[in-house]
Parts: sequence; structure tokens; C-alpha cells
Amino acid sequence: MSTIRVTGLHVRHRGTVALDSVDLDFGPGVHGLLGPNGAGKTSLIRVLATVAAPTGGRVELLGDDVREHRRRAVVRRRLGYLPQEFGYYPGFTVREFVAYVAWLKEMPAAEVPAAVERAVARVGLADRVDAKVKTLSGGMIRRVGIAQAIVNEPDVLLLDEPTAGLDPEQRVEFRELLRELGGSSTVVVSTHLVEDVAAACTEVTLIESGRVAYRGTPASLAALGESAAGAGVGDNPIERGYTAALRTHRASATPALEGTAR
Amino acid sequence: MTGWHASDDLVTRYGDGSLPEPDAWSLEKHLETCGRCATRVSRAVRETAAGVALAQVREAVLEAAPTLPTTAQRLPRPLALPSPGPRLAHLLWAAGPAVRGAWLPAVLLVAFGAVALAYGADITGVRPLLLAVAPVVPVAGVALSYGAHADPLHEIAASTPSAGLRLVLTRTAAVLAVSVPLLTLAGLLVPSSDAPGAAAWLLPGLALTLASLALAGYVGVRTATAVTGGGWLCAVLTPVLAAPGGHLPARLAEQLQYCLDGAPAQGGWAAAAVLSAVLLAARRPAYDHLERR
Repeated sequence: MSTIRVTGLHVRHRGTVALDSVDLDFGPGVHGLLGPNGAGKTSLIRVLATVAAPTGGRVELLGDDVREHRRRAVVRRRLGYLPQEFGYYPGFTVREFVAYVAWLKEMPAAEVPAAVERAVARVGLADRVDAKVKTLSGGMIRRVGIAQAIVNEPDVLLLDEPTAGLDPEQRVEFRELLRELGGSSTVVVSTHLVEDVAAACTEVTLIESGRVAYRGTPASLAALGESAAGAGVGDNPIERGYTAALRTHRASATPALEGTAR
Repeated sequence: MTGWHASDDLVTRYGDGSLPEPDAWSLEKHLETCGRCATRVSRAVRETAAGVALAQVREAVLEAAPTLPTTAQRLPRPLALPSPGPRLAHLLWAAGPAVRGAWLPAVLLVAFGAVALAYGADITGVRPLLLAVAPVVPVAGVALSYGAHADPLHEIAASTPSAGLRLVLTRTAAVLAVSVPLLTLAGLLVPSSDAPGAAAWLLPGLALTLASLALAGYVGVRTATAVTGGGWLCAVLTPVLAAPGGHLPARLAEQLQYCLDGAPAQGGWAAAAVLSAVLLAARRPAYDHLERR
């Protein structure tokens, strides 16, 4: 069962082609979105989050076409989105910040306080819930971002570089949370850290120059790395698989797109 | 199973936690299959301080359990009321970045500044000046309310069902709720100096605000507010500054009378407001992806 279905997606970002005829579908589970910087990961996540409008193609989330204004609002209530970069109001505490997003997501007011507590506890910030966001470290702010994304227990959760700024221990804890979330919802995680994918994802999608270069599981990517000895560079099978898949794609691709955006 | 059973010494040391970890693990492995030793170890553990505390906790939980359904019904209410009044918090949330940020002090400065100039510095012609500036104030508030350049939370907000016209209108309402009473009151307090009435700016203010929003559907909030706000200031101030001779406030009052006074002028502003509102409603979906335009 696919909760996200993308067909013939075409996205332009600041005058350059960010995604070119991308067909993808995702079901419940944790999906790693890998690729070099500027490959189009963020563009894809922003389109899936309904923040950016595609220039062409069709995006279906939870069975609804998001181009339709009315259906879009319904879908957005069941979305969670952590942008790569986000701001906050300087005076807000963690609790206020997460509650504000819950309000934006039109959650019933009676459910919000408990949902906020739960979301903040899940990212391990229960003891900082009344601290001002601006007093927190970068890694903590990222966790606040994850808390706001999961406050409505979304069916589709989109995380753009969620592990950036987290220390190794926090990343291990975060992967645990990812696996837990993937049990019930569709989680799409963009990352450039191959080990995140190996540890927490059920499926891997590799994007290069705005096109899908590889789809499989972490195991199949690792197997590719083992079999294509010499073709891929890296310190472990999955890294070798990653570089091997990229090179195969580059070799077979029609003349690469000029200047792609992130 | 193997005929081996844990000695009393081993059981005691497991209970008080002094048994080395590998020995404890092998004992635990044995307990999985030996009921007799398990019972002995359980008894020993129950007698330790931790065991006693656990028993007390269990008792307390069981005691509280039958009363749970009734308290659960009452529970959401106290939970729904986090410290200082959620209603106020919700209002502030609805108000958005403009009313929280630098715009509010600016409005206060205009309002109190006008009154202070009129009475403190004894300057005449404050009312025309105030009337010329007032319609731009809510437009500036709109500019500072929505979009990536004004709202640090925009990227997150844009993915929520509140995004788009609904949030734009909520925040615009907050901006108007602050600026309309303050500026009208200030207008009433300063002497008229032959300018139109203190309320004469209300319809133009509303029309310019709605026109900004309508235009924003095509060119984005920032450009739209610059066009409408700048357009108004040009329309009012250019003839005043260009015309030779005469007292400046008097000329401004004259120009404002032309723009604001009388049924035709006010009727024109009302028509512009209605037209903008219709355009807004018709182009609702356009507000979902304002930043892409």
C-alpha cells in the first residue's frame, strides 16, 4: 500500500532543474533518501511537504492529489515536516513552540497539551520543555524540530537532514525513534550520512542530479558494494554500494543536467 | 534440570546486588527453567529495600486504579490549561509575527507621537500627517506578517493546514485589531486643522490592506505591500510636495480632503475594498504557495 505516490515529477528551483521526471512510491516504513549535495533531496521533500509546488507531474499523498486545494488541507493535517533549516520566535519555550505548531496543524485544543508533552518526551527533551528555545544548543533545537514534526502523530513524516547537529549518542537514540515511527507511518528521511540509512531505514532511494539513481534496501545496497568490488569506494559495504550505484547511474545517464539545484 | 540448585549464599548475594554480573547472569539463566530457585530468589529480592519499595508502589497503584475512570474524565480540563491562560496564548499565536515584533512599537510610536507632537510640541497640522500615514500602517503590518522574509516559522507553517489564505487573514485581522483603534483614537485626540475626520482613513486603510492581500496572490506579500503602501504615499504626498507655495500642512489637508472626504471618495474606497475581497475569495488556492511566485 503506497501512502506517497509521485509520477513524472518535475521541479524547477530558482531557474534550474531540481527534479526531472521522478517516479517514486513509498509505503509505511523508514525510507532513506540518499544522494550528493544538490541532488534534489530537499526539493523532493519540500514538494512532498506541500510547501513547494511542482512544475509538472502528479503528487499523491495518502490517496489524495495535493494539487487540489481542498484535499491539500486534509492531507496537511496528517503530515509532519522537519525542514533542513527552520526558525522560531525568540520568546517561545519548547512547549510553546511545539504547541504553536500543533495549533497550526489544527489539532483539537483539548489534545494539544498532552500531545506536546508526549512529542517532547519522545525526542528526549522532557526536562527542557519550559526552557526558551533560543537557550538550547543546535542539536537540541533540531530535536525540538523533530518534536514539532511528530506532535500530530503524522501518517506521513518528512525529515530533511534530521541528524545534522546531533552527537553520536543522540543519533543512535534518534534512529531508535525512527524505527518506532516507521512501524506505523511512512517516514522519508533525507540524509547524506550513509550509516544512518544502514542503521534505521527499511528502504533506500538514491537521488542524483534530479533523477532516481537506485532503489533497494540497505542490504541490497551493501550487496552491490560487495559484488562491485573495485567499482565503489568506501569504508564499508554500504558506502561502496552507494558510490558504485552513483557511478553506474552517472555512466548510464543521458548527458547530465546542467546546474541542478539542491 | 541439571540437578544443580542455587545455594542460599548465592540467592542472598543476588538479592542484595553484591553478586558479580557474570554470576548473576548465569543464575538468571538457571531461574528461567527452575521454579524452585526462582521462588527462593523472588522471596529474597522481595525482602530487600528495593523489593519493599516496589511492593508499596504496586499497592498504591492498585489502590488508585478503581478511581481512575472518574478522574480520567476530569483529567483533560486541568491538562488543557497550561499556566497563564491558553486563550491569551492562542490570541497571541493568531496574531503572528507582526504584532509580536517591531511593528507594534512602530504603531504605538505613530499614535503616541502624534498626540505628543500636537500637545507637547504644539505643532499644528498633525491630524493631516496622521491621516496620511495611518492607511500605510496596517499595510506594513501585513508585510511583516506572512512569508519567508517575515515569519521565521514560515517553512514549517507552510506545510500545515492553516497555511495560505486562512493564516494570512488571521494575522491581518490581528494587525487591524491593533492599528485601527489606536490610530483612530490618536486622530480624535489631535486638533482637526481642517483635515477630514479622524475616522476618514478607515475605509482607505481597509481597502489598501485588502488590495495588498489580493495583489499578494500574484506577486507575493512583499511586493504587493510595497506597491499599495508606496502607491498611497505617492498619491497623497507627491502633489503636496510638487505644488509651489503655501503652508505644507494646509496643502496636505487639502489633498487629503480630495482623497478622503465626501461620499464619492469614501464610496470609491468601499468599492475597492469589496472588489479586493472578492478577488481574494476567488483566488484562495493561490495563497498556498505564495513563496513560489
